[in-house]
Amino acid sequence: MRKAFSLLLLMLASLSIYAGGSKEENTITIWHQFTGTHSQVFDEILDGFNSTVGKELGVTAEGIYQGAANDVLAKVKAAAGTSELPEIAAMDATACLDMKESDYLITADDAGIDKNLLLPAAVRAFTSERGLLAVPFCCSSLILYYNKDVFDEANVILPRTIDEFTAIAHLVGKKDADGNIVRYAFAGTPTTYELGAFIGAQNGLSYMVDGKNGHFGIPRKVLIETDGTFRNFLIHWKQFFDTGYVLNTADQVQEFASGRAAAMLNASDHLPTVQRLVGDRFEIATAFVPMTDENATGGVNIGGSALFMFSDSDAVKAFMDYILSKECQQKWAEETGFLPASNSVYESNEFKAFLDEHPLYRTAVDQTLSSNPEVTGIWMPSGYQIYHTYQSEIQKVTEEGKDIDQAVSDMADFIQLQLDDYARQNSAG
Amino acid sequence: MRYAEKLLLAILAIIIAFPLLYAFSLSLFSPMDFTDQQAHLLPSRFSLENYRMALGNRYYPLFVFNSIITAALQAFLRLAISIAAAFAFTHLRFRGKRIVLSLLLITMFIPPDALLYPNYSTIRAFGLLDTYAAIILPSLFSASSLLMLLGIYSTYDRNIYDAAVIDGAGDIRYILNILMPLTRSIAAAIFLQTFITGFNSYLWPLLVTSRMRMRTVQVGISMLGFAESGEYGAQFAAIMMITFPFLIILLIVRKKLMKTLSGNIIN
Amino acid sequence: MKSNNLKAYLLLMPSLILAGVFSFFPLAKSIIGSFCTISQQGEIIGFAGLDNYISLFSDKAFVSSIGHTLLFLVIFLPLNTLLILLAAVLTRRKEKHTAIAECIFLTPMAISLSSMALIFREIFRGRISIINRLFSMDIPWLESPDYAIAVLAFLGVFLDFGIDYILLLSSFRKIDKSIIEAAAIDGAGDLRTLFMIELPEARPMLAVIVFLAIKDAVMISAPVMILTAGGPFRSTETIMYYYYLEAFRSGNHGAETSIATLMAAFSGLMVLALAKWRKHDEIC
Repeated sequence: MRKAFSLLLLMLASLSIYAGGSKEENTITIWHQFTGTHSQVFDEILDGFNSTVGKELGVTAEGIYQGAANDVLAKVKAAAGTSELPEIAAMDATACLDMKESDYLITADDAGIDKNLLLPAAVRAFTSERGLLAVPFCCSSLILYYNKDVFDEANVILPRTIDEFTAIAHLVGKKDADGNIVRYAFAGTPTTYELGAFIGAQNGLSYMVDGKNGHFGIPRKVLIETDGTFRNFLIHWKQFFDTGYVLNTADQVQEFASGRAAAMLNASDHLPTVQRLVGDRFEIATAFVPMTDENATGGVNIGGSALFMFSDSDAVKAFMDYILSKECQQKWAEETGFLPASNSVYESNEFKAFLDEHPLYRTAVDQTLSSNPEVTGIWMPSGYQIYHTYQSEIQKVTEEGKDIDQAVSDMADFIQLQLDDYARQNSAG
Repeated sequence: MRYAEKLLLAILAIIIAFPLLYAFSLSLFSPMDFTDQQAHLLPSRFSLENYRMALGNRYYPLFVFNSIITAALQAFLRLAISIAAAFAFTHLRFRGKRIVLSLLLITMFIPPDALLYPNYSTIRAFGLLDTYAAIILPSLFSASSLLMLLGIYSTYDRNIYDAAVIDGAGDIRYILNILMPLTRSIAAAIFLQTFITGFNSYLWPLLVTSRMRMRTVQVGISMLGFAESGEYGAQFAAIMMITFPFLIILLIVRKKLMKTLSGNIIN
Repeated sequence: MKSNNLKAYLLLMPSLILAGVFSFFPLAKSIIGSFCTISQQGEIIGFAGLDNYISLFSDKAFVSSIGHTLLFLVIFLPLNTLLILLAAVLTRRKEKHTAIAECIFLTPMAISLSSMALIFREIFRGRISIINRLFSMDIPWLESPDYAIAVLAFLGVFLDFGIDYILLLSSFRKIDKSIIEAAAIDGAGDLRTLFMIELPEARPMLAVIVFLAIKDAVMISAPVMILTAGGPFRSTETIMYYYYLEAFRSGNHGAETSIATLMAAFSGLMVLALAKWRKHDEIC
């Protein structure tokens, strides 16, 4: 008995030790950062491709989770020039600078993707001097989530600007008899993503760095100080914070979902998650992001990730066509909360019916369609450090009373330093 | 035992038991329970939905399977390799014995954590990324397992071996039929310990696997994405389902484990 | 008896190959590499002298990672030693209720590193966390650079608690009962017996536990990865987490090889120190 068992184990050992194996032929490998619902729906889309178009062509698409978005970039850079480089990788704006300088990227333009079929704002979000770098896939925008029960009870009009929010903060926020906060009006500390809208929308269109936010050429000059946009934002934000009803936190979803904050800003594609966490505790509603001031009419930019191609084989092109098809885009949008990347979906009656049924999803669509498509996210080096520097500068201004001009100049200097480093490294090479 | 001591012991026991008990409670939470204004100690209602969701996940059962297979292979092969080496050192005479032995034991000084990258590039050079072999190979040889066996084997009577050889029993038969049964408990301890370490390892499998179907459960548990979609409870259900079996095994072999481990200080 | 060179080396082959390929080769590669200039692809392009070490120590992030690791060690080590000692001392005599406590103290062994880290992430998640609720506190824990490293240290205690407890407890229970009984007859109280007889007897094992704890603490990386990912504001980036970032994220092999060399040297020194100490104490 024992002998048989050890023999069995030995056989198992020799058989399974090479299980898995290396890269197969005729496989389209897609590296991505999708988890949870996103990965489930993405897998279903791949299954759909494999059982139809893929079957006809004799290719299989396989998605490989490679960690967070910046992990995917790191792995792509490490695999560049080797056989491990996948055919496709889903990455966000942080990858764009590296990608547009790389010689192994097949841009969407080179691959012959028809830009006219795609959402204009999403195209702008991934366009550089090399043309459209990648195929927009996970499009989302910042939206305001608010507690409808609280806003209804306070009987206030939805704030269109930060100042209007400041005016009603004490009505949607709540203190107990001892003056302790029971409910904040707003939770969250703005950083790179939020400032994309708060700064980008000012005067109809503003940029944080030159080269249209780093999209065209190597970004060399930081603009948030000279244009006065960051200062302008901080003045309004500080007044908002000084109401005492704003909480600095990186975990705004928890604060909002628990009911401890009446509103928060978050990506539109988080809607299903937020709904699950709030449950029937209160009614959620969504609205446009409050403007920095009356002149900040640019709206919001498209965030999220796009599919970067490293192969221009017919199979990859067929896969892209499949992904961009109306059915696929609509399934992706309806089940994940992302905005469809293909124009055709917006015109379809099914999607219109879906939006009628799910009015919360409509906000992001309406807001994006009414935004200036030229408002784009920033492409810059050292995104991680800049993200945290924004966060801590805003925290210092609001909580420690740091001088606004000082904070603006510190922030600008910091970004300029990163830009200088980057320009030096990339002009030499 | 005095009253104060008992109180102290009770407090300590509660602290130590808390993460496990709380994780069990969390595994029954609904998504809303996680975001209440007041953190919950207990779920608001009883439901096994989270367990159903974890089991219904496309990858979770596969992750668990991968973990069990790699841990079992690792334990089995490490034991076999250590037995072969320990047998050679204790029962055979050969040239260079001392040098070879010290070479092998020196590896205890070399921290595997600091060699992650070169080992990763070796595995990559062999084309083994995303295979079970990649996950288990670097931990197949363990100087401490060898040391444990050396201690036991060297106490056995050489005359039995000589007699067995004269009787015509081969070395393999001698090992399987005579040596193994006599040293069963230490072999079991090595097997169990390697299995647990293998099952629990995180960093190495994370680095050498990238396909979802090759991930082990420790690596995969945070990649199931339950947390990202607000289903925190399902994540804890997944955790509890891999913890329960170990807990039961651990409590069963508790006394034996204590005896064998205490004789062998360094892992 | 005849010598069996061929047979012996055949049996030793797997061990020798594995030790060579996965211990000696990477160690040599790291040591040599640390004195060379290495490309992103991992090829040696030239001799660098001490340049890798110099640029490693001039990187602020690395220097602060040493600081974070030491801070972790300073919180973790006393806490760990104290709690393990307390658990073992309180259950060293077998009594009815100690069996239950014993089982409880073993349970952390059943929970894997990644599970425990995820559980801790929930217990200490932020202001609305169970730990704040239970003790009526309002501490931001993992959201704050001041507290995150303490949570990490507390997690560290739980990760090794089970195994350390077994080791220490069994060394207490191995003490010859007659000595303890004799002391009791002589009128020595419980505390006196503990400090004069039992603790000195258990000292070697305690030393081993402390040495292993120091080694583990200095090498900590995986718990950081899951619990905090180095955050908030890079406040929990330890040396080995920095190694991971440089080796696998940035492809900076100068930093990777020099850290590997330093860590191997440190680990070797730790083991040597332990061996020397034990010889000095004449135990093994």
